[in-house]
Amino acid sequence: MRITVKLIGPFIQAFGFSEKELDVPSGTTADSVLDLVAVDRSRPKIVTRNGRAVAPGEELRQGDRLVISPIYSGG
Amino acid sequence: MNGWTGHILRVDLTSKTFKKETFTEEFALKWIGGRGFAAKILYDELKPGIDPLGPENKFIVALGPIAGIPAPNTGKAVVAGKSPMTGGYGDGNLGTRVAEHLRKAGYDALIVEGKADRPTMLYIEDDKVEFLPADAVWGQGTYETNDWIYAKYGKGVGVINIGQAGENLVRYAVVRSLEGRAGGRTGMGAVMGSKLLKAVVVKGSKPIPQADAAGMKKAGHDDLREVHRIDKETGWSIQSTNGVLAWCNEVAALPVRNFRKTHHPDAWKVDGERLNDARIATYGCPNCTMRCGITIHDDEGRESELDYENIGLLGPNLEIFDLPEVGALNYLCDDYGIDTMSGGCVLSFYADAIEHGAATGDYRFGDAAGSKKLLGMIARREGEIGDLLAEGTLRAALKFGRGSEAYAMQVKGLEVAAYNCKFIPGMALAFGVSPIGAHHKESWVITFELKSTSRESYGREKAQKVIELQRIRGGLFEYIVACRFPWIEVGWDLENYPKYFNLVSGLNWTLDDFWTVSDRIYSLIKLFWLREYPQTDRKLDYPPAVWFDPANADTEGPIAGKVLEYDKYDGLLQHYYDIRGYDKRGIPTRATLERLGLAEEARAAEKFGSLT
Repeated sequence: MRITVKLIGPFIQAFGFSEKELDVPSGTTADSVLDLVAVDRSRPKIVTRNGRAVAPGEELRQGDRLVISPIYSGG
Repeated sequence: MNGWTGHILRVDLTSKTFKKETFTEEFALKWIGGRGFAAKILYDELKPGIDPLGPENKFIVALGPIAGIPAPNTGKAVVAGKSPMTGGYGDGNLGTRVAEHLRKAGYDALIVEGKADRPTMLYIEDDKVEFLPADAVWGQGTYETNDWIYAKYGKGVGVINIGQAGENLVRYAVVRSLEGRAGGRTGMGAVMGSKLLKAVVVKGSKPIPQADAAGMKKAGHDDLREVHRIDKETGWSIQSTNGVLAWCNEVAALPVRNFRKTHHPDAWKVDGERLNDARIATYGCPNCTMRCGITIHDDEGRESELDYENIGLLGPNLEIFDLPEVGALNYLCDDYGIDTMSGGCVLSFYADAIEHGAATGDYRFGDAAGSKKLLGMIARREGEIGDLLAEGTLRAALKFGRGSEAYAMQVKGLEVAAYNCKFIPGMALAFGVSPIGAHHKESWVITFELKSTSRESYGREKAQKVIELQRIRGGLFEYIVACRFPWIEVGWDLENYPKYFNLVSGLNWTLDDFWTVSDRIYSLIKLFWLREYPQTDRKLDYPPAVWFDPANADTEGPIAGKVLEYDKYDGLLQHYYDIRGYDKRGIPTRATLERLGLAEEARAAEKFGSLT
């Protein structure tokens, strides 16, 4: 299935892309995508799926949009 | 008294006199500085009911014990007075060399009273105070005024000034400094203008009293380097505050079309990536370790220093997605001395009111040229509409009628910042209970709401988090007077701030000691509001009605069909009051006031409004 992964803010420079589509097997979890796109797990982050916070073990679906962002604090 | 100069400079513009006053150690320890000093002075000295744009109001510049001392992000000052926007307590902070110079001149605060008989520039150099004519720049923008001052005194002096908006008493006129710094969106620029005070220039040369100056110097310099290193490591400054725009768009929190929509497919055109790509320079405040002022060329080739709030409210909120055009609107606001947040909300409200038949005119969303023209009309109070929009959204809505108050995006008369809380209950509460009207600087809980709790929740944990953040952001950083960014954006340990405070004061305070001070200041500000609005009730702490309107719900996206719910919001508000020790109107109870050492202030308040 095809999903879209978008990085926010300095993660773009840190992990080398802004947005990309990935073909992943069904059953892929939100958490496992972090490894697929080589996001440093030690960086504080918030991950959303289709605009809503996602649990790490949540299975993704065809067409999902996963956004990985640093934890902004509103300036 | 180490940590403080122990002196306040009081200036009377009417009589062109000044005096150096001394304050006690008890006053210093109870109120610390910045917002604490300002709130206490205004509470004690202002008669309730005075015209905020009359000579009885006072304009205060207040600093904290670490202000101006080299350490992470200490180049900031608080400006305060009774707010022309809200009629309540008003303040704001801005980066300025005044922070260092006023302290070195020997003062922890400046109180300006009365009204000059002609446009005036106040010049302070150590013990000298001069009342100089400013006719040459009256009617000019803040950039030209700054250049005029720099030509006289050099770029190293501390300067705050106002543009045409402040001169013409636009109620959301700000105080400006440096390249793109602004503060006091509660109308402090208009308070200066009402006194014919065009600028304050400060040059100081005395040492700031410190208990352990060598220790502070080492800690300050080491930490300046370390925070800078952490910022480079995390990359926060690459997109600066505007990194959050893309995220807000993804999670349906972006203000679009006067907050009617929460996201937009063209938002990427003005996001942090595009801003970084367009960067021509970066500016920051004195002692800054992580400069946030990303500067671009606007559509007329001028330098415009942008951050998220400017872009969010002058861009997507007006459905303008061309970065140089947004830059031009921001440049004009900065030059006129108009608050970019209220300015953006006023324009979007006007377009919305026209669209809903409450107002007439040819202004529309997406109209960059029309927006530029209107900003000029507002700054000059030109024509009926320029004059009305200079009053802010609430007063304009009362004039327009036809239910337009519901989508005047303000709380207590002050426009909301660039977070669309159509379905973010905790952040809506943060706007609702901000002590100066809607402002994000007091508390920002969106990521907490999405990451650590559920967006749907109206639970006590959200009220608790709002208070926790208020104690730090609206409390500690506003009275110790330093920028919150090192702590909040790159994780600089909060324990560093008592460390700095103890080095300069010789005391041994912990963070818990500071939280009591924070609560005391918040409660005193509540008493200020009670005196001005004796019939106050909890509705004053409600966000704009349109966020509760099912007809305004998103039709697609992450929060489709969802809006805030009145009963649940009221329950969340009650959690906030319960934790704070406030009554059902949102006023601190007698017991709370006594616990916080405010018995005397409570007695003063009871002459005007009741306490429970």
